[in-house]
Amino acid sequence: MMSDQFRKVEPYSPKSSPRGARSPVVSRQDSSGTLKTTISLGKNPSIVHSGPFYLMKEPPGECELTGATNLMAYYGLEHSYSKFNGKKLKESLSSFLPNLPGIVDGPGQEDNSTLASVIAKRPIGGKELLPLTSSQLAGFRLHPGPLPEQYRYISATPPKRHKSKHKKHKHKDGAPPGQDTPLQDSSNPDTYEKKHKKQKRHDDDKERKKRKKEKKRKKQKHSPEHGGLTPNQHPVP
Amino acid sequence: MSSPLENLETQLEMFIENVRQIRIIVSDFQPQGQSVLNQKIQSLVTGLQEVDKLKAQVHDIHVPTEVFDYIDQGRNPQLYTKDCIDKALAKNEEVKGKIDSYKRFKSHLLSELSKTFPNEIAKYKAIRGGE
Repeated sequence: MMSDQFRKVEPYSPKSSPRGARSPVVSRQDSSGTLKTTISLGKNPSIVHSGPFYLMKEPPGECELTGATNLMAYYGLEHSYSKFNGKKLKESLSSFLPNLPGIVDGPGQEDNSTLASVIAKRPIGGKELLPLTSSQLAGFRLHPGPLPEQYRYISATPPKRHKSKHKKHKHKDGAPPGQDTPLQDSSNPDTYEKKHKKQKRHDDDKERKKRKKEKKRKKQKHSPEHGGLTPNQHPVP
Repeated sequence: MSSPLENLETQLEMFIENVRQIRIIVSDFQPQGQSVLNQKIQSLVTGLQEVDKLKAQVHDIHVPTEVFDYIDQGRNPQLYTKDCIDKALAKNEEVKGKIDSYKRFKSHLLSELSKTFPNEIAKYKAIRGGE
């Protein structure tokens, strides 16, 4: 029976009322005005007489920089804004890196060359980079002759749109000119076929035009200007 | 004196150019090209050393990883900057709109309350310092 005297505090029992220390039943009409005071503790304890208003808090301090300010102007980014919004940006990566040789506009997943994979699987680092010894260089001894077929597609370069810009870097170290695009010659059977087809189409067009002209001439013979009459224009007897 | 980023950019461009030249040499390899190739391979190592040296100069430059997604998809990374600027501007305008609306609401509420509770609002204004 003794244990009943000490009621156990339920673990989920609220330690404090959600309404603060005030009971909602008790009337809070305070004529003396002593309760209308805010006591704040902490680093700078203060007692603020809030007058006739309950629950009145200090307004939040004035912030110098808010969203009401034009932040673009505040941080001096108007130039960047006008730069990016003034003209239409080109979508392709090659327009951003015009000097980069090779095809760069394709998705990196195709040849596992994504930057994300560099982050996901970090390359081995921390080792000193040393020039190769002569025995190590022997591993790079190559056989004379062109590359096997399966590796050639890599060396295909896209059509250059920024020729003048690229010239700056071309053959800087005395590399032989004209070897950059070894695959884009007329010996390629595909290109030859294309050219041939084009020629054929051109001939077809000529013939079609000829036939059209003849038809037109025939028609004109039957037209009213040439004395020909359509069935509706026959004179009524 | 050029900036660390410019230095790195130049080094990387030189490295890429070197690789491009190696590609040309090996695509139709000639026996007399072996010494040139060896030289080029050594200069690749030197290029990597140079890039590695510049690492310390750019360690405080942070690049958002989202930019990499743009590059990996073969898109212009400047589009990311443009998207960020557009988003920031839209948010700025939205917040400014909210602040202005709240200000208008406050002044309207005070004027309406002062019609109904003139004394209380006068006291309130006195406490708030004529807000």
